[in-house]
Amino acid sequence: MAKRVIAHLDCDAFYVSVELLRRPELVGLPVIVSGSGPRAVVTTASYEARKFGVGSAMATAEARRRCPQAVLIPPDFPAYREASRAVWELVRAELPVVQQLGLDEAYADLSSLERPLPALRELLARVKAETGIQISAGIAPNRLVAKIASDLGKPAGFVAIGREDCARRLADRSPRIVPGIGPKTAARLAEMGYPTLGSLQEAPVEELQERFGTNYGRDLHRRAHLHDETPVSASTGPAKSRSNETTFDTDIADHAELEAVLRKLAAGLCEGLVKKDVRGRTVRIKVRLDDWTTVTRARTIEQPTNEVEVVTAIAVELLRAYAPPRPVRLLGVGMAAFGERDAPPVRQLALPV
Amino acid sequence: MKLSASGADLLAQLQTVSRVASTRSAVQALSGVQVSATASRVELRATDMEVSLRVPLTADVQREGTVVLPARLLLDVARSLPRSADSVSLELRPEQQDVEVVAGHAKFHLRTLRAEDFPPLPEPGGDTVVTVPAGAFVDTIATVAKSASRDETRPILTGILVSASGQELRMVATDSYRLSVKETVLESPLEGGFEANVPARALEELRSVVGSTGAETIRIGVRANQVVFEVGGAVLSSRLIDGQFPNYRQLLPEQFEHELRIAGDELGDVVKRISLMAQKNAPLRLSFGDGELTVSAQTPDVGEASEPLPVPFAGEPFEIGFNPDFLRDGLDSIGAGDLLLKLISPLRPGLIQSADDGGFTYLIMPIRLNV
Repeated sequence: MAKRVIAHLDCDAFYVSVELLRRPELVGLPVIVSGSGPRAVVTTASYEARKFGVGSAMATAEARRRCPQAVLIPPDFPAYREASRAVWELVRAELPVVQQLGLDEAYADLSSLERPLPALRELLARVKAETGIQISAGIAPNRLVAKIASDLGKPAGFVAIGREDCARRLADRSPRIVPGIGPKTAARLAEMGYPTLGSLQEAPVEELQERFGTNYGRDLHRRAHLHDETPVSASTGPAKSRSNETTFDTDIADHAELEAVLRKLAAGLCEGLVKKDVRGRTVRIKVRLDDWTTVTRARTIEQPTNEVEVVTAIAVELLRAYAPPRPVRLLGVGMAAFGERDAPPVRQLALPV
Repeated sequence: MKLSASGADLLAQLQTVSRVASTRSAVQALSGVQVSATASRVELRATDMEVSLRVPLTADVQREGTVVLPARLLLDVARSLPRSADSVSLELRPEQQDVEVVAGHAKFHLRTLRAEDFPPLPEPGGDTVVTVPAGAFVDTIATVAKSASRDETRPILTGILVSASGQELRMVATDSYRLSVKETVLESPLEGGFEANVPARALEELRSVVGSTGAETIRIGVRANQVVFEVGGAVLSSRLIDGQFPNYRQLLPEQFEHELRIAGDELGDVVKRISLMAQKNAPLRLSFGDGELTVSAQTPDVGEASEPLPVPFAGEPFEIGFNPDFLRDGLDSIGAGDLLLKLISPLRPGLIQSADDGGFTYLIMPIRLNV
């Protein structure tokens, strides 16, 4: 197989950048895009706010404590979607294979380009000029390294690096720097005597498999050496499930009240399903209690549906059967097992029973 | 409570009873197995509030009492006990609220579940009590059970309609795509009779209880909304399903256009082979022409298969589609003997019957082809 050239493209502080484009008076100030409820979390912080230790997914209350002077802006998702479309349309027009992930990042396979780096540099400059959005890029032989590299240069980064070079450069960092190695795994690795990526690279695969299971152990070993063969695929295929959930401002213990919320969530879910014209067979509810116990219950029916009556009835029944024993923090309803799009339409006839 | 029993016995009985324990109830005690020890009898019990099971355990009781232990965990413990120890003892330690399990040198302390949350289970007997031969009863269940629905949104169809009177035992099940009726003639007439819509799940459990006890008869007690089966020393009870089971006789067409006698095992083999290529909801196609039936299947991006089979067909050729699994279920239940395949047209139900009167009728709805 020919040498691959993979780019990870990541918009710098995307939501904030979109906001600053329409409110230039805020440029240079710490800005946080976040909801305002008591349990809201930071979606994006400007680099000025990040200097105060504010980061994505941090509780907004905590962010305000760290940076009281920050300007708080409520998220405007339609605007972000619009900006995202403009950015990736430009990228797609230029690069052969682009796999978009969410609104603000994408992988691109540049292997077929004659001079990938200058071409990419030129493209990013044009995106910046035409949309005002700065993209940081990591260019590497695989997705894993590209993803790490795009982060190394942020903001406005452009880092091209080889696998071995990258592994050496990160040797004394925590294994958490590698996507797919989370805080729990990192803590366990540290206990085993592998607190850094460099030390983890020395770990025998058998030992990792012993501790983490055959598959994840092997995967960890490969990740530690920054091996990754995942291809960049232009389309990720249709969604496999859809859901609608909400976290309450204050926990709800009353079952009737929970049911009312669930009905609304189910109605919202079905509205989306009808719009996309998809039907599913598995209705699922998700309940998170005040002690963070998270429970899901699901039921699969024989005929795919997106009818609000059917979905609501099943969701409510599942909730009643579970009867949350403690106050509820988060409630959600989801639908999965969508009919396969390519499968021939099935016309199973039924008896009149 | 304190008792000792053979490890093998404990394991065998736990394997039977723990299948009934609830896996997902909010009431923790329902995920448990209740061990009840009196001087005369030790019983293991489990329930999920719909189906309940009580099985005896041969044991030496040193102290009477009742405890509820996590079923899954107790089963795992029983399974893992050292083979060298042939006896295992269970003793409640009230102060620690646990049960000490000792086998050989291995010692476990299992925290008990709240005993007061475990409901009393139905006693044997009922308004009507009928004794039936166990073999005939469970064979009849096995023949129809696959046709019962698993779709909880139609509770009525998740049951099997069981009728017993005189010399006839009849069971009916349908999930609205196919219908199974099995009539079994008993060797000797029953004393008394009943008709009830019993959850298919309960009857499947009954099959395995009969299998593990090797009992020859089943004593069935029927009450307004409950049925109790006594098998050997075990007692399996279930709530009955409310509401009117569909009138299945109305669903059976009175006349058919085609009636073909085919060797069941031959058709079964062909269908099994060709079904491999009917994936992702693709139908199995049965094309009838002069003297021949061609079974074929095709799945886009996977492949296709076809195979002809000589059959005594005459008349206008036609093609009908079936769900491969549904067709196979019917053919499996017929077995190896000759069958009658009766058809009307591509959109009308087909019927499979045992030719030499095995008393089995399988009605199957087609899949509309060429859409």
